[in-house]
This record gives sequence, C-alpha cells and structure tokens, in this order.
Amino acid sequence: MVVMAEKIDDEFLVKQFSQGDDSAFNRIVEQYSADIAVLTNRLLGWPGDVEDVVQDIFLAVFVGLKKFRCECSLKSWLFTITINKCRTYRYKRMLRLKIFSKAAGKMSRTHSRATDGWLMDNETFNRVRRAVKAMPAKYREPIVLRYLQGLSINESSRILGISENVLQVRLNRARKRLRRELAELIEE
Amino acid sequence: MPEDKIKNLLQKADETAGVPAPVSINISTLRRRANRRRFVSIATPIAAAAAILIAVGLYGFTLRAAKTTHQQKIALLEMQIEQLQARAEATSNLVQEVLQNERKQQRLDELQAQLASIPDPLEEIQKQVDTTAFNLVYQADRMYRELNLKSSAIRTYKRVIELFPETHGAEVARERLSEIKNIKYKKDSKGDLLWKPQNVPSSC
Repeated sequence: MVVMAEKIDDEFLVKQFSQGDDSAFNRIVEQYSADIAVLTNRLLGWPGDVEDVVQDIFLAVFVGLKKFRCECSLKSWLFTITINKCRTYRYKRMLRLKIFSKAAGKMSRTHSRATDGWLMDNETFNRVRRAVKAMPAKYREPIVLRYLQGLSINESSRILGISENVLQVRLNRARKRLRRELAELIEE
Repeated sequence: MPEDKIKNLLQKADETAGVPAPVSINISTLRRRANRRRFVSIATPIAAAAAILIAVGLYGFTLRAAKTTHQQKIALLEMQIEQLQARAEATSNLVQEVLQNERKQQRLDELQAQLASIPDPLEEIQKQVDTTAFNLVYQADRMYRELNLKSSAIRTYKRVIELFPETHGAEVARERLSEIKNIKYKKDSKGDLLWKPQNVPSSC
C-alpha cells in the first residue's frame, strides 16, 4: 500500500516537473538526496565528501526526468543513475590516479597486515570498508544494495540490470572474497 | 551463519564511517549546467565540423597554391627554355656566319695565290718584245756579216729602233748603225773594210 502510494506520488511529481513546475524537482531532491548521498558514499568507498558526484547525479536526473516513463519506481531509477555515475566517476578517477592508486593500495595492504588483535574498533571497520572498496564493481554493487541499502533481490537486480540468478551468483562470490579477506573477523 | 555475520560486519563498518556531508542542490545551478551541457553537446559537433571544413579548405587552398606555384614554375621554365633556344639559334647563326666568312677568306686566299702564280703579262710582253728585238738584231747582224746584205741589215736595225725603241736590242741596233756609219766613213777614207761586229749574242 505504501509502495503504491509512493509510486503515485512519484508519478505526480514527474508530471508536475514535465509541466514546468520546479518545486516538484525540489521535492524530489528533498525526498531522495540523502539516500542518494549515502548510496554514493558507499559505492565510492566511504570518502565522506560526495557532493560533486551527487550534483552530477541530480543534473542527469534534471535532464532526463521528463523522459522518465514511470515503469519502475523513481527511487530505483535514481539508484540506477547513481550506480552509473559512480562507475563513471571511479573509472575516471582510476585513469587519473592510476599510479597513485597502486601506491596507495600497497600502503593500505601493508598497513592492514600490521594490525595486531582484532578488536571491533575503527581500524577493524576501516579494514572492512577497504575490503569492500577494493572489490570489483560487479561484486561491490550487489553487496552495497543488498546488505547496506537493504533492498530486495528483485529490486537490486532491476537496478543493476541483471537477472536475479546472476545477482545471487555475484553475491555469493562477493561473500567468498570477503570471507577470505576478513577471515579472522568473521570466525570470531 | 556467515552471511549474517558478513552483513552485520558490513553494517557496523558502514555506521562507523558516518553519514556523508549534506548536499545542497540548487535547481537554478542545475538548469545552468544543463544548458551549458546542451550547448556543449550542440556546439562541439558544430565546432568539429567547422574545424574539419576549415582544415579541408586550407588543404584545398594549399593544394591550389602548390598547383599555382607548379604552373608558375612550369611557365618560368618554358620561358627560360625559349630564351635558351633563341640564344642557341643566335649562337648557331653567328657560328655559321663565322664559318662562311672563313670559307670566303680561304677562297680569297686561294684566288690570291692563284693570281700570284699567274705571270705578269706586261713583263711577258716586255720579254717577248726584248726577244723579238734581239732576234731582229741577230738576223740583221747575220745579214750584214755573213750574207753581206748591208742595206737590208741597216733597214732591219732601223726597224728595230723604230718598233722597239726602249729595248736593249734597239741600243744594240743603234750601236751597229753607228759602227756601220763609222766603217763607211773609214772605208771611204782608206778603201778597206775594217769593221767587225761586236756584242753579237752567241746563244741565239
């Protein structure tokens, strides 16, 4: 019932925006900007400052909202845009800082191995975040959507544009990777 | 369950990372950026097309200029060839003229040599005159000495003097006549022939 009401509300907002009502877009921003910022933060490896990417996401929303046909929920559409923008952003950053990234990766790995005693402190969670961040996008994105955003398998697969089976396979492989990387933490 | 553990671990890690800084979205800024992006998306292909057109135009212009330069070079070379041909013709004509002059000079030299080889007719005539006068004197001497034809001899001497007055024969004839006159004078006084002809040429 709530989902239905949300969808009707979204359709109304999109219609209002298509008719030239800017306040409709402001309402969309108010409603979803926090969620998008959080998702962006998670997808980019918790950098904290994600304003530029979020601005880009909402620019894409602003340009494409008139073409949105409400076949899925607005939230799913926004999340799809977010994932695509984050991929682009990471790819550009990787190209720009390829050498620097290698050095940083080495440093982080060395640092992680040097830690003694697996206490549930900040350093431990940093290690978890780094492990997620170091995963390829095809494993990181399902993990973020499923376990951190709390989306269903159906919704996640729709957002990622893959089948549910593929999503399950990717989740399974991502878990294996994390188990391998964080074996001590998970066994405790 | 390991899945729950992983999920729990991930959620705790996410919570400890904190919430991202709030993002302020301004619709006017977005509109401006969208317009700029639209402008760029339209202007970029136009600029690229214009750049291509300019490049093609410049290339064509360069080609045309190169072609013109080539044509100018060809025209200049043709002109130079024509000038060289004219100069060669002039030189050839000059050479022909010089050769012709040389040939003429050679012919002239040959003719002059031939002319030089031809004896002087005046000298020849003079020689013949001298020879004739001498022959007449010789015959007159024979007539007077051997045939005793005194009057014929005197006539012949006088004829020599008359016909060839400037010759050596005429001098001899004069001498003979004076000698005959002297002999006549002496004969008249003594009645004996004393005269004996002198200077008679023995070779004739």
